[in-house]
Amino acid sequence: MRPIVVVSASKGITDLLLDVAKGRKEVLKEIENRYTSIAREIGSFKLVKRIEEELDKLRRVAEGVGIADSVLTDYILSYGEKISKIIMVQALELNDIRAFELNATDIIVTNNTHGDAVIDYPATAIALEKVYSVIKNHSYVPVIEGFIGRSFEGEVTTIGRGGSDYTATTIASLLKIDKVYLVSDVDGIMTTDPDLVPTARLVKHMSYVEALEASMYGAKGINPKAFDPLVKIYSSNLLIGSWRNIGTMISREISRDFIGPKVIMLKDAGDYAYIAIVGEGVSSAKFVRDLLDTVVKLGIDIKGIQAHVHRPSIVLFVDKSRGREILKILHKVIFEGDQP
Amino acid sequence: MKIAKIIIIGFGNVGRAFARTIALKKKFVESRYGVSLSVVGVADSKGMALKSDGFSEYELLKLCEVPRSGVNLFSPYAYNYVDLKYMYDMVQPDIHVELTPANYVTGEPGLTNIMFALTRGAHVVTANKAPIVLKYKELLEIAKKRSLQLRFRSTVMGGTPLIDTIMSLRSEEIEKIEGILNATTNFILTEMHDKLIDFEEALKKAQIMGLAEADPSLDIDGIDAAAKLVILSHVIGCSISLDEVKRESLSKIKLRDVVEAIKEGFVIKYLAYFDVRRRETYVRIVKIPKTDVFAQVNGSLNAVRIKTDVGEILFVGKGGGGLETAHSVLDDVIAIAIGSEGGMR
Repeated sequence: MRPIVVVSASKGITDLLLDVAKGRKEVLKEIENRYTSIAREIGSFKLVKRIEEELDKLRRVAEGVGIADSVLTDYILSYGEKISKIIMVQALELNDIRAFELNATDIIVTNNTHGDAVIDYPATAIALEKVYSVIKNHSYVPVIEGFIGRSFEGEVTTIGRGGSDYTATTIASLLKIDKVYLVSDVDGIMTTDPDLVPTARLVKHMSYVEALEASMYGAKGINPKAFDPLVKIYSSNLLIGSWRNIGTMISREISRDFIGPKVIMLKDAGDYAYIAIVGEGVSSAKFVRDLLDTVVKLGIDIKGIQAHVHRPSIVLFVDKSRGREILKILHKVIFEGDQP
Repeated sequence: MKIAKIIIIGFGNVGRAFARTIALKKKFVESRYGVSLSVVGVADSKGMALKSDGFSEYELLKLCEVPRSGVNLFSPYAYNYVDLKYMYDMVQPDIHVELTPANYVTGEPGLTNIMFALTRGAHVVTANKAPIVLKYKELLEIAKKRSLQLRFRSTVMGGTPLIDTIMSLRSEEIEKIEGILNATTNFILTEMHDKLIDFEEALKKAQIMGLAEADPSLDIDGIDAAAKLVILSHVIGCSISLDEVKRESLSKIKLRDVVEAIKEGFVIKYLAYFDVRRRETYVRIVKIPKTDVFAQVNGSLNAVRIKTDVGEILFVGKGGGGLETAHSVLDDVIAIAIGSEGGMR
């Protein structure tokens, strides 16, 4: 079976489009420059023309509005993904892969909460089935926009930042596809932010609840909504990484061998900083005791602890100025096998 | 399996939605009706693409990805010119689908195209209203003489089976037709009522959302709605001409008028009206009570109320929209392909 490709906007484009919606028309030029340079690089006349057409439409919209309302904002934002889709199809074709454009607005049906819409699974399933029955026996690769959908009223909606993951998991779960690859420029989920701790390493396996918990504590890379269809409809495996390396697999459940801490994160929270350790089993009495032993042995000053037995996390509140240092030490002990 | 060879003339929004719909529903139509729909030619203003054994589903989807007026880029099937005669000689279509834009002065290019199709023995499905509005009788006569069908279900309330239903009312006498027949103007009025913005801003929004054309005069001067009344008049066998429909332009509506109407418990709508007995017909701005059914028909929805000598029928549904129109056109194509009778009066 051929894959289904879900595309996001090019890096930074959604922010630029948001500026356009807020009335900053001068950034249009920058958007145009970026896309035309991609189109020229790929070097197809058809592509250049198509992109110019879309940019023309975008310009008309942008010049027609003062400050856009939520409906128009979504409409403007949709151009990022739409143009990505056109580019991706052309790029695949030039590599002899037969691809075609699917319109998210024909398939992804949502409620009308503009800017953060929720996908209607039954309505989307009907639209998807129709397309899928045509393509499943062929070798064509459909390319569809992530992030955007259509409300029952027929207006373009967006499903929240990072929404392309949510589009992908929805399509996968509705079609019972087992693997969803989330491809970006990082190799996978890291044990911590490598900018803060250079020895951070890839997390090989995680469960949905762990990944969801991590995303709620602000882990980059996954939109929490993406888990909704996986939990409710069909549990595909999520494979996260880059074109070079797919480093992380997230599945509904993980084997006993993988129980334990997965990631450790540092965030500022008001007067303090907090360090969240996420992983199934980390709120167990034993893990909490061992962690506290370590904390005591190393003489780390903590301001508070938070752990619930039903949540796969434990949070330590620490002094803001010592956050990074403590993060490094705990990362060493928990993930690099250092004895305290 | 029976094969119906189709050509598509006019390849804008509706043309593309139609090609895409055929691609996605080809199998479904085959298994349900035992007819294979084969698109053998597509033309736009600058060129055409021909394939006598029919474009595959994939090719149809790819055709929808050519730039505007870019059918001539669809190699290796493309030609850099449009020549209907050559097209007919090459691919010998059974059904001609006319999706060119409407011109209510000359009817062209649709009129000549449809005439040509009928004289060459092809059935015709048109979403272009102008030829039907201007030359219904003549076209129908040619079609009848040659036992061909001329279908135009998508021209009025594309998203609902209005015309089919009216045609099936064989024993009833239709006394009055009134309704909201234009999606763009209804959208504009809804925006004005809901958001209390002026006409110009609402119009701009309609244009941005792709509802109104860059030149919106067909919509806001009531020509589109009037044309639909004319088509309905043909269908019920009591033809009126476009000039007979008195029109009032929506462009003179002010936010002030809307606010006043709201205060008094009214809603302003742009209604098309045809009293068959009195032959009185107009498209105009009216104040209706909030409780009226038409007051609930908002956004790009359309509605038609038909009064017959027996009772009233109400239709509410999507007016235009590429996808809806494409399906109506496809319904007509399938009806012809499976050989069901035209039902023209």
